[in-house]
Amino acid sequence: MMTPSPYCTIGPFFPSQFSEGTADLTRHDGRVAQGQHIVLTGRVLELGGKPTVNTIVEIWQPDANGIFRHPLDSRGAQGDPGFFGWGRARTDAEGRYRFRTVLPGANEGRCAHLNLMLLAIGLTRRLTTTVFFSDQPREVRDPVLECVHDTAARLRLFALRDGAVDAEAALGYRFDILLRGENETPFFLD
Amino acid sequence: MIPMKTAVQPQIRKTYDSYDDGTQMARQIERYPLSFTRVPSQPLIERPLTLSELTGPMGIEERLGVEKLDLSRGAAGGRAIGQLISVAGRVTDEDGSPVAGAVVEIWQANSSGKYIHELDRFEAPLDPHFMGQGRLITDSEGRYEFLTVKPGAYPVMESGWWWRPPHIHFSIFGPSWMNRYVTQIFFPGEPLNQVDLLLNGVRDEEARQCLIFEARTPAMGSVKMLPFERDFVLRGKHATPELL
Repeated sequence: MMTPSPYCTIGPFFPSQFSEGTADLTRHDGRVAQGQHIVLTGRVLELGGKPTVNTIVEIWQPDANGIFRHPLDSRGAQGDPGFFGWGRARTDAEGRYRFRTVLPGANEGRCAHLNLMLLAIGLTRRLTTTVFFSDQPREVRDPVLECVHDTAARLRLFALRDGAVDAEAALGYRFDILLRGENETPFFLD
Repeated sequence: MIPMKTAVQPQIRKTYDSYDDGTQMARQIERYPLSFTRVPSQPLIERPLTLSELTGPMGIEERLGVEKLDLSRGAAGGRAIGQLISVAGRVTDEDGSPVAGAVVEIWQANSSGKYIHELDRFEAPLDPHFMGQGRLITDSEGRYEFLTVKPGAYPVMESGWWWRPPHIHFSIFGPSWMNRYVTQIFFPGEPLNQVDLLLNGVRDEEARQCLIFEARTPAMGSVKMLPFERDFVLRGKHATPELL
């Protein structure tokens, strides 16, 4: 067995070109993704509520039917050809990020959610968390959500309906992330 | 209260072992101030791995372009100033099996230590012939290779004393969300390596060497570039991912 290579921070100069055109997941291969389109926005803040600039936010999620475009998913071949499932955004001077994507369906045994990771100067390794949706049905006990025992912290894993609906009638959700401080966002061990 | 079903999860063979924390970079590093305002104060929470964490973007080259990479040649065709080098290596999993088709993003400073980035305030010149960034994909044996110039050292402007040793940034898309990997690779024999806060943030000496290129002796008759190599080991044993 070999030891996994050590991670290191992305530093302050992650190229902006690497984030161009990557924050809209609703189009792929010339097709429009099926399901409810959403706009997921939020701010990434550090200790004291200060915004972080040029933080890279990446998401990975199933399509509107809860299918991952991946050979490990037994339904993978039936995945939406108009949806790839991965996206990247970067934060601006106010710490804001913005994705257009679809409301994920629930994969077997899980509640509707998407995976989110952060890369930034000051973070020597990536940070990972899971985003749930406050107004979506929870038909099972989600095994990842159940690991967060602090009730208040658990609530911080829910994106809230934002009210805002954009020109193409996508629903708005807001998910703010506090890296450190009172009310910080829960993160998971990889 | 509506009673909830207990989650029925497909059982997934454990393909991700935990690792010795000393072989990874410390999360908080003394005199690296941002690690004290950004790293969560609460312990990271253990979670089971479900399909969601064990899958990940595959075929991402469909979304992000990849190319045969030569950072030493600008759009106009001229060569960048600096020591021309080739960088090559292999991406594998923990079993040593090649990770074929991994997309690798690369970015670095030019030979003066200047990045092509609006946030870089260092008063060193940009080089119109230097690309600074690019993407490639590993071949069927997990191999990658690109040409570039050796990056220069540069000061961390906020600290006033910390000079970063020459290094190249790598961001790799492995086959799952668990092995999305980013790092910096340093050059052997650089005096600044001895005092770099990040490089020395890896406690384990052997693991620290995994962040430094190996200088290869140029073959006799080879007059093009100085060769450097670095292999990467991604988390997990991917050759046999299976659902039980």
